[in-house]
Amino acid sequence: MLQTYNLGPPLNRILILSVFVVASCGLAYELIAGALTSYLLGDSVLQFSTIIGCYLFAMGVGSHFSKYVKEERALTAFVEIELLVGLIGGLSATLLFLVFAWAATPFRSVMYALVFVIGVLVGMEIPLVMRVLNTRQAEFKELVSRVLTFDYLGALAVSLLFPLVLAPHLGLARTGLLFGALNAAVALWTCWSFRHEVIGMAGKLTRAAVVLLVLVVAFAFSDRMTTLAEKGLFGDDTIHAETTPYQRIVVTKWHDDMRLYLNGNLQFSSRDEHRYHEALVHPVLAAMPWAKRVLVLGGGDGLALREILRYPNIEHVTLVDLDPAMTKLFSSAAPLVALNQGSLKNPRATVINADAAQWLESNSEVFDAIIIDFPDPTNFALGKLYSVPMYRLVARHLSENGLAVVQSTSPYFAPNSYWCVDVTLHEAGFHTWPYHAYVPSFGEWGFILAAKHDHYRPPEQYALKMQFLDATSTQLMFLFPPDMQRRQVEPNRLNTQSLVHYFEADWHNVIR
Amino acid sequence: MSELSRRGFLTLSAASLAACTFRPGVAVNRYAPGMAEGHALRDHPVLPAPSAEISIDTVILGSGVAGLTAGWRLAREGFNDFMLVAGPELGGNATGGQLGGVAYPRGAHYLPLPGPSLGYVREILAEMGVIESGTDQARPYYDERVLVHSPEERLYFDGQWHEGLVPPGANTEEEAQHRRFFAYVDQLKQQRGNDGRRVFEIPSALSSQDPAWLALDLLTFDAWLDRNGYTAPRLRWYLDYACRDDFGTTSARASAWAGLHYFASRIGQAANAADEAVLTWPDGLSPVTRHLAAKVGPKRMLAGMAARVTERNGKVEALVWQPEQQRTVLIHARKAICAMPLHVASHVVKALPQYGFDAGKHMPPHAPWLVANFLFDHFPTEAQGAPLSWDNVVYGSKSLGYVVATHQLIRAARPETTVFSAYHALADSTPEAGRRWLASASDDDLYALATGDLATVYGWKLWHNASRVEITLRGHAMASPTPGFRSNAGLRALQQADGPILFAHSDLSGFSIFEEAAWWGDQAARRILQA
Repeated sequence: MLQTYNLGPPLNRILILSVFVVASCGLAYELIAGALTSYLLGDSVLQFSTIIGCYLFAMGVGSHFSKYVKEERALTAFVEIELLVGLIGGLSATLLFLVFAWAATPFRSVMYALVFVIGVLVGMEIPLVMRVLNTRQAEFKELVSRVLTFDYLGALAVSLLFPLVLAPHLGLARTGLLFGALNAAVALWTCWSFRHEVIGMAGKLTRAAVVLLVLVVAFAFSDRMTTLAEKGLFGDDTIHAETTPYQRIVVTKWHDDMRLYLNGNLQFSSRDEHRYHEALVHPVLAAMPWAKRVLVLGGGDGLALREILRYPNIEHVTLVDLDPAMTKLFSSAAPLVALNQGSLKNPRATVINADAAQWLESNSEVFDAIIIDFPDPTNFALGKLYSVPMYRLVARHLSENGLAVVQSTSPYFAPNSYWCVDVTLHEAGFHTWPYHAYVPSFGEWGFILAAKHDHYRPPEQYALKMQFLDATSTQLMFLFPPDMQRRQVEPNRLNTQSLVHYFEADWHNVIR
Repeated sequence: MSELSRRGFLTLSAASLAACTFRPGVAVNRYAPGMAEGHALRDHPVLPAPSAEISIDTVILGSGVAGLTAGWRLAREGFNDFMLVAGPELGGNATGGQLGGVAYPRGAHYLPLPGPSLGYVREILAEMGVIESGTDQARPYYDERVLVHSPEERLYFDGQWHEGLVPPGANTEEEAQHRRFFAYVDQLKQQRGNDGRRVFEIPSALSSQDPAWLALDLLTFDAWLDRNGYTAPRLRWYLDYACRDDFGTTSARASAWAGLHYFASRIGQAANAADEAVLTWPDGLSPVTRHLAAKVGPKRMLAGMAARVTERNGKVEALVWQPEQQRTVLIHARKAICAMPLHVASHVVKALPQYGFDAGKHMPPHAPWLVANFLFDHFPTEAQGAPLSWDNVVYGSKSLGYVVATHQLIRAARPETTVFSAYHALADSTPEAGRRWLASASDDDLYALATGDLATVYGWKLWHNASRVEITLRGHAMASPTPGFRSNAGLRALQQADGPILFAHSDLSGFSIFEEAAWWGDQAARRILQA
């Protein structure tokens, strides 16, 4: 096609070809912003519509501004704009990733501002090129036809390349940088080709070189920067990150330490999770060698399940976790399956993805032990899982001699929350035995063991080999030193949701 | 209301306009219980001769809260010789529906904690298991699933959500007025008249008859507020909202006695909830009426509606029209409990004037209402501030906000679908004009009115989230307590009527809340039981 098409004199040809590149770049930035925002915030129809709208409008603004560029400066301005677009557009995706990682609130504002700025600059490109060609005595009808043809061809090229090749292989950040470099290259090439017409040639060349260098360096280190973004959040390298309808799941790894974060809150560190999960499971199960059926609520990482399945007397475990992505991840990713020893795929275990209370409401099965490992009560929805009606529902599924245990936040850092869970269980009719254990990555952590009867005794020996628990330390876990004494608090009633308020106040005090 | 700026008004109307013209794919389903039947009866239809006759001791005509409570009481006391004519809508204003597996209210959606004078309400709740213990204590223990869950309510104000429904005062002077008003009504809760009774009691029939306090019924609420220096616009908006919400009329039309009754009568407490807590179910009060209906039992329920009630030889004859079967049944009863709204009774009960009720003079105004239920495929994105609550109200709006049907579910994640129930009382025109509008309104008109608050809050995203809308039209939703209602001689006569026909309906109180309706049902049943 290029051979048969009359592109006019060689210098004009260069300008027309640059239109092709410039148009691809312009569309690319728009697509990158849309894809990235959909990826981070969801609701892709909304994101794409508003971004395209904002971008097209900004292009209109740019076209309008182009008339203020003086005739003799048109070519120079074009070069300058190319450099700016290359720099800003090229870095936009990387910048947005970083902004999102450090603070989600200004993300939208920064994103729309960037889209707008890029749009304005891109909007000035075509009018300027047309003016340059116009002054070079190209025939107007030829000029419009050629410029627009290549403009649209560029758009076609990138709209196919972006989803099929670039986004999957390069990723959004590097695709952005690549197009930035193309813009800068156009600037450089135009500069060189029109070296007699461009004003301030040496400065332009230096600037173009600097922009290109920045983009190339950024391209080389792009992977590191994106991981750095999540590292800014989590401190370590991310080996898995996923946003599900329910939460953001991030798994990090640093040397031999693997960590799971849900919505930015640490759930476990592989270095000391054995402490947490032994303390969660064994005071219950070691005390009931007759137990056959166990229910786990939450615990989609399969780590509590791993501990439960160590007991040969346990015939069946039902695990109810809300998020299918969570149980899928922990039953398929090799390092995580190694950690939970494939517990989620164990034939003695049934994994159900459902909202815990909904599942309890619609089932009548009764269990010998119920292990409750929900996320901390950070909001009203999660607070409902720690409420009187929820525990009454749990009671309906617990056998008369059965035992339940609830992970109950920290009795040291969040004492009001911890003791609130205890009185809530009482209010629901349970006898309780609060205990705590030191988990280095969490600090002092609390559990509450509950039963319908009042004759629980902590185990005096463990038949299974433990890494953390022994008879003496188990007895100590049930003692609360003076700085962790019981607080007088209100039970977590759904009408007031005191626990959510306690939890917020407790951690506010710690962070302050 | 100078506070309601022109800009605010324009934004509101623009928002509703946008919603009205833009609802692709959102089907509007109208539901107008009893409207066709009621109008047919009003127009004196020629009915077929009775195809069956039934003799019974007592017949209850109507299955709203009053009729069902009367039947519940009779059944509970072991009185079996009665039947209940269901009328056009079982449960009346306290009914609910289901959309996409979500139960939602079609009318009344909550019940304040019943105070010590509401023994009969507590009895019902204890029987349902809602009160678990301490029915006769100051603070009974309630089933928490029914106590409204936190976060309870929020107000959309200045583009943000704020906890609670009372807007903040604009300045310290206004703040002081807010405090003064709430301190005053708080103190009124314990205020007693010269007869030793609480001035504002629920049931209202047990309120003090002290003329000094009854004089409040001669004023409108607005006049009383002006006279007492409560001029802060934001407080006045809130009080007007309260009148619309409970009475279906504005503070400019409501009686001052009624306006203060709203704030000073409720003193119920729970052992396991805050004092302001209310009881609510996903489908509003529907579970309560279903419970009452179950206690009456299907065998004692007769489908159809009373078309003519006459007295003959000291007994009652009720002609029941069963439009589906195209037939009528004649019931001979010793006593009838007329549990219909009075605008229907005035066409059906020929002897109403003899009982001292002159429809032309004594009929309380009945406010028309819309209850719009929006099925949402997913929860809409929320504006800044307080999170989605059970009750969500827009400051400055003339609509009454919306409640979330799935709020009481115990779920960590939001359910996939939900129903938002938006309420609107047509309080700004006369009830007659409101009804004329309802009768002629197009789907677009109804949709625009029903979406007012939701459109303000969610804007264009509304059509993106809502896939179906059911609009319940209630032309005569509730009696509005306008000045003089406490001394309405016609209502007084029906309250005391002890002939072959007894009357039971919240209309007798002049305002429509569950406790009043149940009170009159309970009273009528007790009269039957005493005889």
